[in-house]
Amino acid sequence: MSENNKNQNKKIEKSFWKSLESYQNDSKLNLENEFEEGVTDDFNPSQLNGISRRKFLALLSASAAFTAAGCSDYHDQGEIVPYTNRPEGILPGSSNYYASTCNGCSVNCGILIKTNLGRPIKIDGNTENPINNGKICAKGQASILDLYDPSRIRKPLLNGRETNWSEVDNSIIAELNKVSESGKKIVLVTHSVHSPTFKSVLDKFLEKYPAAEVYSYELFNNHNRLDGWERLYGNRNFPKIRFDKADVILSLESDFLGKEDNFIENTRLFAKKRDVNNPDEFSRLYSAEGSMSLTGMNADYRFRVNPSNQIEFVLSLLNELRKNARVNISLPDDLESLVSNYSLSRFSEEKGIDQIKLNYLLEDLLKPGKNALVYAGNALPLEVHYVVNIINEILNSTNLYAHTSAAVEVLKLNRHSDFQALGLELSSGNVGAFINLGSNPVYHFQDAGDWKQHLSKVALTLSVVVNENETSENCKYVLPAHHYLESWGDSQTTADVYSLRQPVIAPLYNSRQTEGILLAWTTGQTYTEDLYHNYLMENFKSSIFAENKSPLAFKNYWLLALHDGFVKIKTEDKTLTPEFTTPLQIPNSSKSNEFTLSLTENYFIGDGRFANNGWLQELPHPVSKITWDNYLNISPKRANDLNLKMGDMVEVTSGDKKLEVPILVQPGMADDVISIELGYGRTNTGEVGKNVGFNSNIFLTSNHTNTAYFYNNVSIKKTGNFHKLISTQEHHAVDDSSVKDFHKIRNIIQEGTVDQYINDPEFLQHHKHKIFSITEEHKYEGNKWAMAIDMNKCTSCSVCVASCNVENNVPVVGKDQVENGREMQWMRLDRYYSGTPEDPEVSNQPMLCQHCDNAPCENVCPVNATNHSTDGLNQMVYNRCVGTRYCANNCPYKVRRFNFFNFRDYFADAYYDNEVTPLVNNPEVTVRSRGVMEKCSFCIQRIMEARSTAIKENRELKTDEVTTACQQACPADAIVFGDMNDENSAVNKLRKHNLAYHVLEETNVKPNVTYIAKLRNIHSEDA
Amino acid sequence: MKKTVLDYLLKVRLPLVLFVAAISFLVTFYVSRPERDGVGYAPEQPLAYSHKLHAGELGIDCQYCHVGVTKQRQALVPSVNICMNCHAVARKDRPEIIKLREYYESGRPLPWKRVHKVPEYAYFNHSVHVNKGIDCETCHGNVREMEVIQQVKSFTMTACLDCHRDPKKFVPYVENVKQGPRYCAACHR
Repeated sequence: MSENNKNQNKKIEKSFWKSLESYQNDSKLNLENEFEEGVTDDFNPSQLNGISRRKFLALLSASAAFTAAGCSDYHDQGEIVPYTNRPEGILPGSSNYYASTCNGCSVNCGILIKTNLGRPIKIDGNTENPINNGKICAKGQASILDLYDPSRIRKPLLNGRETNWSEVDNSIIAELNKVSESGKKIVLVTHSVHSPTFKSVLDKFLEKYPAAEVYSYELFNNHNRLDGWERLYGNRNFPKIRFDKADVILSLESDFLGKEDNFIENTRLFAKKRDVNNPDEFSRLYSAEGSMSLTGMNADYRFRVNPSNQIEFVLSLLNELRKNARVNISLPDDLESLVSNYSLSRFSEEKGIDQIKLNYLLEDLLKPGKNALVYAGNALPLEVHYVVNIINEILNSTNLYAHTSAAVEVLKLNRHSDFQALGLELSSGNVGAFINLGSNPVYHFQDAGDWKQHLSKVALTLSVVVNENETSENCKYVLPAHHYLESWGDSQTTADVYSLRQPVIAPLYNSRQTEGILLAWTTGQTYTEDLYHNYLMENFKSSIFAENKSPLAFKNYWLLALHDGFVKIKTEDKTLTPEFTTPLQIPNSSKSNEFTLSLTENYFIGDGRFANNGWLQELPHPVSKITWDNYLNISPKRANDLNLKMGDMVEVTSGDKKLEVPILVQPGMADDVISIELGYGRTNTGEVGKNVGFNSNIFLTSNHTNTAYFYNNVSIKKTGNFHKLISTQEHHAVDDSSVKDFHKIRNIIQEGTVDQYINDPEFLQHHKHKIFSITEEHKYEGNKWAMAIDMNKCTSCSVCVASCNVENNVPVVGKDQVENGREMQWMRLDRYYSGTPEDPEVSNQPMLCQHCDNAPCENVCPVNATNHSTDGLNQMVYNRCVGTRYCANNCPYKVRRFNFFNFRDYFADAYYDNEVTPLVNNPEVTVRSRGVMEKCSFCIQRIMEARSTAIKENRELKTDEVTTACQQACPADAIVFGDMNDENSAVNKLRKHNLAYHVLEETNVKPNVTYIAKLRNIHSEDA
Repeated sequence: MKKTVLDYLLKVRLPLVLFVAAISFLVTFYVSRPERDGVGYAPEQPLAYSHKLHAGELGIDCQYCHVGVTKQRQALVPSVNICMNCHAVARKDRPEIIKLREYYESGRPLPWKRVHKVPEYAYFNHSVHVNKGIDCETCHGNVREMEVIQQVKSFTMTACLDCHRDPKKFVPYVENVKQGPRYCAACHR
């Protein structure tokens, strides 16, 4: 402590390291620099794939086209084909927006879909929908690519051969009736059902076929959370958490800012308590977790706790807290006697957790006048959730529960064990029909036995899916389903919001809506696109319309609801009283020296359902920055003990399950925990996601001692094989190997603590010295665009990157090209570690073109292809660019991207070279080709659109009128864009803020992206 | 020194040939320039539509048909239903109107030949120009006199920039006219 006190007033001097190699000062490290010598050696067309059939045909047609062009009228400008009958409200060239509901996960966010010439081109959050308040996640942003996925099924298939719908309908109805008569069971498998109308279709089906049973599942669900809640409160309506009111948050193995439940809304609320204008109100986040998560990266204090020890942790915490409880709750006798056996000091001693930090935690949780909250993760067993709920009662945190927006279950999810039972039932031959509605149990539940054999015993197997998957390949019938952007639908996930989904494009293929197919079979009606539409309207009329007692006529009410995308339902807040009923059973905790294996969801491809989405596969992992792979995370200490390096293959053994996977040495991992993300290793999806990563679903079993998400007594063994993991972290490194330590000196990341800022608001400005220029400064009149990024709010969730990709037609380049450092994303999130590899502190920084006033790239361009506009933009003119790459060489931020190939034609045998995928392109942004440099344009198309609106309305362009794609998508509202010449603009205020700094400002390039230094809310003794 | 044939060829014949070639190239280059820029291009249209009759004699406002011109980048060629607003009753017996009605009733797309075009990499915006008070004639010529629509001015970057640099010369009728933006990103993104 005395040591700490001495340092109290010393300026923080952190040294940052970007990777373990740079921490260990390994000069042999190959940074895979974009511009290193030899990096273009393989740029030899003769060494490429050679001439494929497709290329040959392309050449053939090109030469034919040349011949034709030579003979024709060179003035010919083509044709303009107008509508014959232009629909009202559609002006070809202008965009239309439609409100709808996403179905990428169980949250069902409200979305606003931008369509141009009848095709959806961008998805953003619906600002009016209270579920997500205008923000959506990266998966939602990129889900638009799935609509135009060329590997979608286009026609119904029977045993792999194309057939037509009327035959399918007739034979399936006949077979269903036969099965029903024989008394065998009909099994319907689906993902979670949130649609009241779909539920009623299922009910109708069950009524007609009483032998049918619905299995609905999510691989990553909140069963344990709801069970723990139900045990204490007797209902399953888990409330929305008011993270914007919580002063102290203890997160237990929970990634509530990264991927758990409604993390986008959580991020928005959490960021509100990270407002630099209110430093006294800053929240403090403690995180106790086994593997490094996005939430852990953002924590002020982080404990490394094995997930199977969390039960001891919460019981110890309960024992300590009840001594000074804010609300006195008499615990039942069994719990009372159990809890008194636990103590925090013993826990910290046994598990090697910093006692001082734990004391801080206790002190903070009980600090009077502050709202404290303990939040447990979905992976933890129900006992932990149960105890956490009691702790929150004791802390009087129940005022952070918003019961008005509590979760509702339309259809209760099945358990993992139900699928094991289903496996047995299928193999016994008791099942006559197996109907898969868009899910993939064969891939997800590998412990249910040999599915291929199971399904061969079923007379009627059918899958209604958008893309082929592991389940549909074992089915007799494979029927193409509409993408959700082609579908009608509704959903209710919270008590206060009922959302509607509407089609925004006519079906691209001969597919049908899943709900409609089932409805047609049940009622015997012929399928039309309006069948389910009308059914939905009827259902809406008898439920929502009838309950809301609106004075409007039904048709108007319906159209209004469709226009808004949702209907608000009145709910009342309530207080629940805990009731202690069943005694608590303590699950086993880890005692052996073996590892605990933690299975987590991937941030972007989810449980594997987005595996065929190139944009999501290529989005760097928020923590490890790995793309196109999954891997086993291990702590640096244990990796060292076992002599393992990044990419070494190990055999993981859990019970009787074995898998060979590559290693990633991840700073911040608990020493007794290894973790792996699921969702990879798909064997049957489109060309993009096939055989990417390793299928770790084999470890999932319902015969677990804790929860399905972590397993004790797991061992690993080095196999001697190697697998190349591709990370974007070392690419575009601002610290090149020759200037390695510069980033530690250069103040690329500047940080402080909240106390420091309160005591001395100008602490960041002290070390700055005056920068002068030998040339005269250029004056900017009128608008001058600038951006500010608040690093207190940024959690590095990567939604900005996904949004930028969609808005700006950023191509997917594939794993082999990312390896060469040729990823094309205009925006990246830099991640720096400081402290020790065992317990690192993490700093994140969104990095994009800084639009410098004295841009170094501009001076070196031999053809003046990059230069400055009068409104302060560093513009890139593709037509002038001849591809010298001098600009990228001279850019200190390494934000310029070069098109080494015509990526649209190159990736994965011409991924974009088909008739549908190019439809996703934004027509307002040029599609770049080979040999051209590109970079962030500050969304020039949006600036121009705002400008044209201002001219139309005969006024000046207002200050905060332009919203860039990243800004619009940022769930934390960390990005602010606007006119810095306007005194009152938000961006101008941030530029003048005491915490504002520019990266590499000593170089006097005068960047126009301002960063607001991150304040860590830690105790001043720790600073 | 004796003058050889080679000397003659090198000193007189070759320069002369080169000179004539260069001159003819330059003359052709400049003379054919408007032609190459598309000036005078008047392709045959699928329907013999007359701007002279509609815009000139009947005095129909340009915006009645080109509905996008004050609203967005594209001015838009009218959809067939706009023609049918009048021609459902007017001049129903004329051969061209019969053709028009066939297009409308069959729903077959009507493929007008495109006359004016800026390249795809230039994002020209009709609405900002028209809303600033610049009239159609400045770029498209006196369409009211044209039996067959044709291009009368060149649509090159120079043509755009000339006006953006010195608008008083090209659009003197616009009050308080300011210079247009002259940076790349104004049109190229």
